[in-house]
Amino acid sequence: MTAKIIDGNAVARHVRSEWKKRVDVLKAHGITPGLAVVIVGNNPASRLYVRNKVKACAEVGLHSETHEFPADTDEAPIIQRIAELNRNPAIHGILVQLPLPPQLETRHLLGAIAIDKDVDGFHLYNVGGLVVGENNIFPPCTPYGVQCLLEYEHIPIEGQNVVVVGASNIVGKPMALMLMAKDATVSICHIKTRDLAQYTILADILIVAAGCPGLITAPMVKRGAAVIDVGINRLPDGRLAGDVDFDSVKEKASYITPVPGGVGPMTVTMLICNTVAAAERYAAKNAEKIPASA
Amino acid sequence: MTATLLDGAAIARQVYAQLKQRIHLLHSRGVQPGLAAILVGENSASRIYLKNKAQACHDIGVHSEILRFAADCTEDQVFATLQNLNADPRIHGILVQLPLPSHLNSGRILQAIAPAKDVDGFNWVNLGAMVAGHTLLAPCTPLGVMTMLDYARVPIEGRSAVVVGRSAIVGKPLALMLIARGATVSVCSSKTADLRQYTSMADILVVAVGNPGLVDGSMIKPGAVVIDVGINRLPGGKLVGDVDFASASRVASRITPVPGGVGRMTVAMLLENTVTAAERSVGMD
Repeated sequence: MTAKIIDGNAVARHVRSEWKKRVDVLKAHGITPGLAVVIVGNNPASRLYVRNKVKACAEVGLHSETHEFPADTDEAPIIQRIAELNRNPAIHGILVQLPLPPQLETRHLLGAIAIDKDVDGFHLYNVGGLVVGENNIFPPCTPYGVQCLLEYEHIPIEGQNVVVVGASNIVGKPMALMLMAKDATVSICHIKTRDLAQYTILADILIVAAGCPGLITAPMVKRGAAVIDVGINRLPDGRLAGDVDFDSVKEKASYITPVPGGVGPMTVTMLICNTVAAAERYAAKNAEKIPASA
Repeated sequence: MTATLLDGAAIARQVYAQLKQRIHLLHSRGVQPGLAAILVGENSASRIYLKNKAQACHDIGVHSEILRFAADCTEDQVFATLQNLNADPRIHGILVQLPLPSHLNSGRILQAIAPAKDVDGFNWVNLGAMVAGHTLLAPCTPLGVMTMLDYARVPIEGRSAVVVGRSAIVGKPLALMLIARGATVSVCSSKTADLRQYTSMADILVVAVGNPGLVDGSMIKPGAVVIDVGINRLPGGKLVGDVDFASASRVASRITPVPGGVGRMTVAMLLENTVTAAERSVGMD
């Protein structure tokens, strides 16, 4: 058996084209979804990520703006800018690009974003909504993208054994909570797990987000499993690789995501989805103020 | 093997003894920890629960007050009272006794409690902080389970923990607390295809479903620590947990009885959260 390789770029294109229709509906009602990105300092990786987000916004027809601050900026002016963006009716989504310079407390800045504009889903209120299983929140983009890939490929989740490797705050734990809400049995493994293979071999769906190239090899994978590789590691020779030994595991899995070109393209796509959803909620709340047209 | 009992009443007594010392320190700083409870309507079970909580407060030197609302009160009336309590410096902990009458949205009402005073730990900001790995105030039942494990010196890091039941007030917060302590955690539910496959892997097995006899001795790894959160009343009136105690206690190394296990911890944890909130309010944490 050779796995179906899930083409994240193709799924992302499809999802974006579907959401573009929703953008068109909003525009017909006079609302252009708007995303504001706050970036502090000159981290080249952060700048690249922000450029990709801005580009994706343009493709789907969203307004976007970046708010740049020098690396040595204090908390106060950034919080003030976030407060202005919270009040700005043309902005429906706000994100603070991470990581931040060391003088800034990430929690303070993320906590300053209005919960109904928190499209990265990092505000504690939105994160707590994941624990409760609330639907009307913004799921964090990477696990949301994984869930979207599973659903796009019609991979069943309910009643399935899911193993998440990696217990990070922004991928592993939210992913586990989202799949529990879909009635999966979820195990969360991490660096302290003593016998990783004992768990991974149970998995109908194996999601790996550990940042450790080659961590998952074929003997650790149940035959016919769907394997989602969230890891992105730069190897000494410059190549990008995931956490899964792709060549051997694809002979055993039923589905597998490549790296690059798997989960990666979905993350920015889900940011766009969350921003459009925020604009739709804004429109629903302010329906009486918005002139009906088209 | 015959399991040692994890005696909730005895552990709760130790918790209260520790809390008394912390309260004594607070008193010496001129701070009287205060808990306010909101009760809507005439639910008799709720009244008993609140009476027990008030008695426990009285016994260890925590001020408590119960604010009563008629069953047909409006959400706005409750919100207004919560706002006052949020701003009241004498009150460090606020709880809304559940269940609420159906015309009130309990989700919305719980969000109106200031996170720093949310001693039941149900506010989404507090639940979110648990995911983010910096727990502020944890829900009382899972906090009680963790406290029992710690009092019994059960090793957690690197161990396999299985939580059966994935409610927002017990199963999921407990899973997050166990992960934070380095356990590998599996969360099962009624949808789990092969429950035995998971329970038999568990060094620490916590069952919180509300299904008497769901887990028996044959499903338990020899030497496991078994925590039974379920409380079920059988037709004859007897209280039992979710674990078949007779068979499980022959396989486990330690096990909680029902009653007299986790149930005894919940009120103690409510008071612990109230004392913690009072300490934080004066920078004593």
